[in-house]
Amino acid sequence: MEVLSCEKIALAYRDGDRTTYALREVSLSLSPGKFYGIMGPSGSGKSSLMYLLSGLKRPTGGEVRLGTTTLSHLPDAELMRLRRTRFGFVFQQPFLLTYLTALENIVVAAPKPDTSARKKALELLESLGLATMAGKLPSQLSGGERQRVAVARALINEPEILFADEPTAALDQANGHKVIEALAAWRTQGTVIVVTHDAGMLSGADERIYLSDGNLSIHES
Amino acid sequence: MRYNHFVLFFTIMNSPLSPLVYFRRNTSRALPMGLVIVLAVFLIAGVTVLANAIDLTVRTIYRYTEYFTYVLPQQRFREVPEAQRKIVESDPRIERTMEGAFFLCNIKTVMGRLPFVVLGVPEDDRDYLMQRMETPLIAGRLPAEGMPEAVLSEPMVENKKLKLGDNVVSPTEVGGMATAAPVPVKLVGILKGPVWVGFTSRSFCTSYFLLNPRCTLYTWKDVNQRDALNRAMMPVTDKSKGKLSPNEVQLLSKENLITEVRESLESLYLIMGVVTAAVIFAITLMSGMLANIYFTQRLSEFGVLAAIGYSRPSLIGRVLAETALLNVAGWIVGAASTALLMRFLGESVFRSRGLFLDPFDLDAYAHTIPVPICITLFSVVTIAYRLVKLDPVTIIERR
Repeated sequence: MEVLSCEKIALAYRDGDRTTYALREVSLSLSPGKFYGIMGPSGSGKSSLMYLLSGLKRPTGGEVRLGTTTLSHLPDAELMRLRRTRFGFVFQQPFLLTYLTALENIVVAAPKPDTSARKKALELLESLGLATMAGKLPSQLSGGERQRVAVARALINEPEILFADEPTAALDQANGHKVIEALAAWRTQGTVIVVTHDAGMLSGADERIYLSDGNLSIHES
Repeated sequence: MRYNHFVLFFTIMNSPLSPLVYFRRNTSRALPMGLVIVLAVFLIAGVTVLANAIDLTVRTIYRYTEYFTYVLPQQRFREVPEAQRKIVESDPRIERTMEGAFFLCNIKTVMGRLPFVVLGVPEDDRDYLMQRMETPLIAGRLPAEGMPEAVLSEPMVENKKLKLGDNVVSPTEVGGMATAAPVPVKLVGILKGPVWVGFTSRSFCTSYFLLNPRCTLYTWKDVNQRDALNRAMMPVTDKSKGKLSPNEVQLLSKENLITEVRESLESLYLIMGVVTAAVIFAITLMSGMLANIYFTQRLSEFGVLAAIGYSRPSLIGRVLAETALLNVAGWIVGAASTALLMRFLGESVFRSRGLFLDPFDLDAYAHTIPVPICITLFSVVTIAYRLVKLDPVTIIERR
């Protein structure tokens, strides 16, 4: 059974008469409860693939399906609702709101910012070793701590699919591994897709997807 | 239902993305915009209060027209012609007609020294008018028949800085023939305010002020009929259509007075309207640009919220809530500070100069209502346009 799949998707940019392909006819099928690593050199289309799979961008060709729903056909509002309720995101930068505490930054992504969301955010912080940081502003946290708060923000709505785009790029090795561990642990409850150029970070991945010049090959671990 | 609304409101206000949380933690951003709104409201309301003060001053000084109307003869007559007087007396809406004389004294106003009537009527008419205007004697005594004596009400005494025994007018009075008296007239009593009024005896006026015309006064039975009665006697616009002949008499009625004042201030109001519109336009542009600059600084915040699934309408709603809240708060602070300052200025500076301010002049504050509305609309529309065009990927791809 597949949770997310794509069929011959492409992403092309037009520049005058010239068309440049970030992705070309990529097909992929992802199962639930697995940790997928998408790898490839810079400019190979890793991030583009993640944007298409998560509905952040629409493909210029082909289709992305979440279960039986074709994302490409959904209106913007419905795509946003999907991202809010069924997906979680961790980006290269944590993009925390500077004036909110670590706890509040997590609650922001909850479906309702009520007491139960705060309780759950605290539990997530605890599980990520950040219990004492709940009331601190992002400026009072280290880079690794900020990124783990971003992971907690991605997890608060219990996503079916957790997307992470170069989540360790701005971190040192030790902090990078902590973040990857936190992401990988989610595979017990959903699918995890991590985009990275650092192969060392994907040692625990169930499957590694290699992208090169917009073309794809899959390797099972 | 009400409980649910309360819970919803509390949840929104308690949410990390509530405008209150944002403003509390970003005071340095909220303050400049808030101050611009406060200043705009202050400027517009302050200037309008001051401009309206001229109208208010005239209405305050001539408030006696709310209680009686003067019929004055035209220049070629020394008194109101008999036929004209009979017309007044025959109207069933009239409560009382009185024959009066007067002399003029100076009062200090923002427009300079103005002549003000000290009325000489028979004693019973004087008592009747004092009762009607609720201006009883609060100090001294009433003027004796035929004597150079007068009583003035409190605001007049305050305006002329007099005390009992001082001269109300004298032969050396500043202001020329109109306000010069052949003999000094002493202040012998003070009447309760706030109506500006002065009385002397009729016989004193007729004996000493030989050149001053005599007048007829009338009052009405029902205050609700006052304006209709005055209009019937002599309409404000087309004077020839009234019962009284404008060739023989003129009418000093409340409506007449207000119309004349407002007509003379028409140009001032027009200039003020243009200035107000220009201020609103400039402030709207300035605040709108400021709001857009702050939005640009917060692009990554809105970009990441859009990326994790916040819909465009919810983000626009957030901008609207923040802008509206700031504008409403700025308006309230601006209006409150205007009222406080105008009250202080009115009491300490302008009152003694004969200018009356209403610090709670609703018309002045109504002029400022477009300020928050225009700023909110302009800011929200321009930011909403940018939000609709915002691609979250361009934000999260910035490395």
